[in-house]
Amino acid sequence: MKRRLLALTAIGVAGALSLSACSSSSTGSGSGSTGGNVTIKLLAADYGTAGTSNSTQSYWQGLADTFHKSHPNITVQVQTIAWTNWAQVATMIQDKQYPDILEGDAPQQFAADGLLYKLTDVMSANTVSNLIPVFAKQEDGTDGTAYGAPFTTSARGLFYNKKLFAAAKIANPPKTWADIQADATKIKALGGGNIGYGLPLGPEEAQGESYLWMLGNGGGYVDSTGKYAINQPANIETFNFLNTLIKSGATEPGPASTNRQQMWDAFSAGQVGMVGGSGALIPDIVKNGKLTTSDYGVVPMPGKSAPLTQTLGVHDDVVAFKQAGHADQIKQFLDFVYSDANQISFDQEYDLLPATTSASAALSAKDPVAAGFLQNVPNSVVYPSNTNWNTVLAKLKQTLGTAASDNASSVLGSLQTFATSNQ
Amino acid sequence: MTTLTAPATPAAPAAKARPPRRLPPLRTVALAGGAYLIGVVFLLPYLEMVVTAIRPGNELHDRNLFPAHPTLSSFTDIWSTGLGTNLGTSLEIAFGSTALVLLVAIPAAYYTARRNFRGKGIFLLLVLITQMFQPTAMIVGIYQQFVQFNMIDSIWSLILVNAGFNMAFAVWILNAYFSAIPKEIEEAAIVDGCSRIGAMFRVILPLASPGIVTALIFTFIAAWNEFIVALTLTTQAGPRTLTVKISNFVGEYATDWQHLFAASVIATIPVIILFALIEGKVASGLTAGSVK
Amino acid sequence: MTQSTQAGLLEPAPGSDDAGPRARVRPVGGGRRVLRALAPLPWLMPATGLILFVVIWPVVSMFLTSRQHFDSMGFDQGSAGWGNFTRLFDEPDLPGVLMRTVIWVVAVVGLTILISLGVAQMFNKQFPGRKFARWMLIAPWAASVVMTSIVFKWMLNPSNGTILVLMHDLGFMKDYNSVNWLSQQTPAFIWEIVVAIFVSVPFTTYALLAGLQAVPEDVYEACRLDGAGAVRTYWSITLPLLRPALLVAALINIMNVFNSFPIIYEMTGGGPGNQTSTTTLFMYNTQQTSIGEAAAMSVVNFGFIIVVVLLFLRASRWNSAED
Repeated sequence: MKRRLLALTAIGVAGALSLSACSSSSTGSGSGSTGGNVTIKLLAADYGTAGTSNSTQSYWQGLADTFHKSHPNITVQVQTIAWTNWAQVATMIQDKQYPDILEGDAPQQFAADGLLYKLTDVMSANTVSNLIPVFAKQEDGTDGTAYGAPFTTSARGLFYNKKLFAAAKIANPPKTWADIQADATKIKALGGGNIGYGLPLGPEEAQGESYLWMLGNGGGYVDSTGKYAINQPANIETFNFLNTLIKSGATEPGPASTNRQQMWDAFSAGQVGMVGGSGALIPDIVKNGKLTTSDYGVVPMPGKSAPLTQTLGVHDDVVAFKQAGHADQIKQFLDFVYSDANQISFDQEYDLLPATTSASAALSAKDPVAAGFLQNVPNSVVYPSNTNWNTVLAKLKQTLGTAASDNASSVLGSLQTFATSNQ
Repeated sequence: MTTLTAPATPAAPAAKARPPRRLPPLRTVALAGGAYLIGVVFLLPYLEMVVTAIRPGNELHDRNLFPAHPTLSSFTDIWSTGLGTNLGTSLEIAFGSTALVLLVAIPAAYYTARRNFRGKGIFLLLVLITQMFQPTAMIVGIYQQFVQFNMIDSIWSLILVNAGFNMAFAVWILNAYFSAIPKEIEEAAIVDGCSRIGAMFRVILPLASPGIVTALIFTFIAAWNEFIVALTLTTQAGPRTLTVKISNFVGEYATDWQHLFAASVIATIPVIILFALIEGKVASGLTAGSVK
Repeated sequence: MTQSTQAGLLEPAPGSDDAGPRARVRPVGGGRRVLRALAPLPWLMPATGLILFVVIWPVVSMFLTSRQHFDSMGFDQGSAGWGNFTRLFDEPDLPGVLMRTVIWVVAVVGLTILISLGVAQMFNKQFPGRKFARWMLIAPWAASVVMTSIVFKWMLNPSNGTILVLMHDLGFMKDYNSVNWLSQQTPAFIWEIVVAIFVSVPFTTYALLAGLQAVPEDVYEACRLDGAGAVRTYWSITLPLLRPALLVAALINIMNVFNSFPIIYEMTGGGPGNQTSTTTLFMYNTQQTSIGEAAAMSVVNFGFIIVVVLLFLRASRWNSAED
C-alpha cells in the first residue's frame, strides 16, 4: 500500500508539473511551430478506476513522461474521462475545446465535420501497416481515406459456468440457439435462483449483445452494401426468438434494463449459467473469488444453427484533431505509443487486446488466455462505420433492448427510420 | 400572530415554559415506539450502505442480510486512493459557496425587505425563477464560460456556480426573515448611536440567525452533493470533489460496491454532524419567517 | 411568504413607494434622481451579478443551442431554425413523458406532504428521546440523493438485493431472479416515486414541525373547553394555522421534485426506452443523439417553470387574501 501511495504522489507531482508546464506554454502555442516547446493535448477514455494506480491516467502519464525525456521539446498533457462520463467529450467539442489526440471514439463523424488529420499525416507508414487490417479498414471516411487508427480491441465469446453445467447434467457447451434455450432452462430448473442465460440488453451495451444474436441468424445492422438494415427480417426473427427465450424464464427478469456489468457481476458470483463476455470479464471473476479458472469455459457464441465462425471484434480508436496544427509532434508521439511494449502493457493492465499485428503476436506468445481470443481477431466482424454511426449507436443503446418483446418489428422499424433520417 | 416571537423563540424553551402535559404512560410508549420505528425506516438504506461496505469482496453478491466475515478494510484502504484530498476539496467548495451565498444574499435580502424601489418585483421574480433551474440542462453553457475565463480546474469556478444556483433560496428565506423584524427595533438602535450598518450587524443579523442558519445548511448540502458541474469543470489532474470521486467507483466492467458505499458513508457523516449541531435552528428557521 | 415579498412580486408598481414616484415626478435635481435610482445597486449588484453570470448566461446559450444543428459529437453544423422544436414535438415518446412529469410532481409532492403531516404530528408530541428520534430523520436529507438512489437500486437487485433477500427469507418470494421491478414501467416508476418521497419527507417534516411549534398552546386549550374532538381540532385549528408552513414546504418540494434528475437517472435511466422518463430525463437521453433537440426540450421545460412560478404566486395571493 505504501508503494501505491508513493506512486500516487509521484503521479500527482508529475501531473502538477505537466500542468504548470502546459499553462506556461499554452499561451505561446502559436509559436510552437517555430521549433520551440510544444504541448499536445491528449484526451483519453479511462478503462480503470480513476484516482487509483489502475487509472488509465497513470498509463498515459507514464508514456508522456518517458516520451518527454527523449523529446524534451514536446510535452503531452494528459486528460482522461471515465467511460461512464463520456458525454463530457461532446460538451468539449461543442465548446470547440479540441484535443490534439482523442482516444475512444470512431473517426467518421469527426472526419465528415472536417476536424481530423488524415492518419498518414500523424502516423508513420510503418506503424500504419502494422495495424490489424480488419480494424484498420474500419477507419476510412466517406472519401476512402483513413482518419483514425484502432488503439485497443477486444473479442467476444460465450462464457459458461462448468459447475452449473455439471449440476444440470449438461455434457457439452451450447452450439446453437436451441442448445442455449435447453441448457438455460435446465440450469434454471436447478432452483436456487440461478440465471440460465444472462442477456444484458440494457442501455450500457445493448448494441453488442444484440449484434452477437443478429450475427447468429445472418443479420446485422447493415446489409452487404453497407446501408442500414436494422429491421431486416433476420433481425426481427432474432428478436422474436429472444422474446420467447425471455418469456420461458431462461434469462434474467427484465433484460431490457439489465446492464452488462450486472450480468458479469452475477456470473462472477457463480449465479449465471452462460453470458457473453470478453477478456475483461476475467479480472471480475478473479476478484469475486467464487469461480476458479477450471470452473468456467469460453466457447464461440452459438448461432441459430451453428456457432459463429466470426467473433465480434470491438475496437476503440485514436484520432488526431488538426485545429492546433501539431501534426509532426502527434506523429512522433503516436509512433511511440504504438510500440509493442506500450501496446502490450496497456492490454495487460485492462485485459484487452492489441491493435497491431506485431504486438498481438508478442502477446500471444506469453499469455495463453489472450492468445485464445486473439486467434479469432483477424477474422472478426466489426460494427458499421457509417458516418452517423455514433448517433445511431446512442439511440440503439436506449431502445434496442425493448425490441426483445412482442413488438420487435415496430421497434426495429422505428430504429431503421431514425438511422436513415439522421444522416 | 405576532411578528417576532416565532423566529426569535426556538421550540424547546417554549415547551419548557408551559406545564408539561402528562400523557398516559402506555400512549407515550406507543408514541415513542412509533417514532423510533419511523426513524429506523429512514435510516435503513444507510445501514445497508454500511453493511455493504463491510462485506469482503467475495461475499458481495451473497444472499444474506449480513456478511459472514465482515471487514473494515474498505474503510481503511479507501484513503490510499486520495480520498482525503477529495474530502478537503469538497469541504473548501461547500464552505466557500456557503460564505459567498451569505455575503451576496444578506445585503440583497435586507434591502428588498426594507426598501421599495423600481425593479424590486423583477429582481425578486428573477431570484425565484433561478431557483428552479437545474445545472444539468445548462452544462454546455457553463463549461463554455469557464473555459473562456480559463477557470477549468479552479475551485473558484465551482464556488461561483454553486453559489449562483443556490443563492435564490437564501435571498428568499432571508427576505422573509428581515421583513418580519419590525423597523422600530432597527430605528431604536440607530437612535442609540449605531450606524445603519452597525444596526444591521448588532440587531438584525442576530435576530435573523435561524434564517441564516437555514440558508447556510441548504447551500452547504447542495454544494456538498453537487456532481455534474464538478465533473465538467475539473479534470483528473485538478481538484476533484467527493461526489466525482465516488462516481469513479462505478466502472465500465464492474462496480466497486464496497468502496463506493464506504466512500458514501464517509461523505455523509460531516453533513449529519453539521445538521445535528444546528437542528433546532433549522426547524424554526424554515417557516418562522413566513409566520405573519 | 411574507407580505413584503408578496407585495414586491405581486404589485411590481409600488404605489406606496416613498422614493420612486417623487424622484420620477420632480425633474429638479437630476443628479439626485440618478443617485436615487442607483441606490439599490450596492446592495443588489453582487446578487444580480452572480445570477447573470452563473445562471442567465448559460440560459441564453441554451436558447441559442436550441436553434442550432449539432451532430452527436457536438460539432455545430449550422442553424436549424425551429427544426429542433418540430422534431421534439414529433417524438412519439413526448406525450408520455409530459404526462409522467405531471404524475411525478403531483404524486411525490402530495404524498410527501400527507406523510409529513402525520410524522410531524407524532414528533411534535413529548416522549423520551425525542431529540434523538428527530436526528434519525436527518440522514436522507443530508446524504446525496445520488447515493440514496444507488443504494435503493442495489437493494432491489433481483439477484441479491436486500429487499429481495428479506422477501425470500420471509417466504414472499420463491426464487431469486424471478422479478426485476426496475425493468417494468409501472413498478419501476412507483419505486422511483417512493424514493423521491423518502428523500423529501425529512425536510418537509422539519418545516411542518416548525409550523406546529408556532401554534400557541392556549388555542388548543380553548378548543378543548369548547368540547371539540381531536379530528375537528386538527381540521379546524391546526391545519389552517399550518398553512404558511405548508405553502413553504410545497413550494420547495415542487421546485426540487420538478427538476429532480438523479433518482430516475440512477435507478432506471428513464428506461426501458423512455418508459420511466420525466422531462429532465428525456432531455438528458435526447442529448445523446441530438444536442439541439435536447436544448429545445430544456426551453420547453423553462416554459413549464415559468408556469409553475406563476401558479405559485397565485396560490400565495389566495393565501394572503384570506388572511
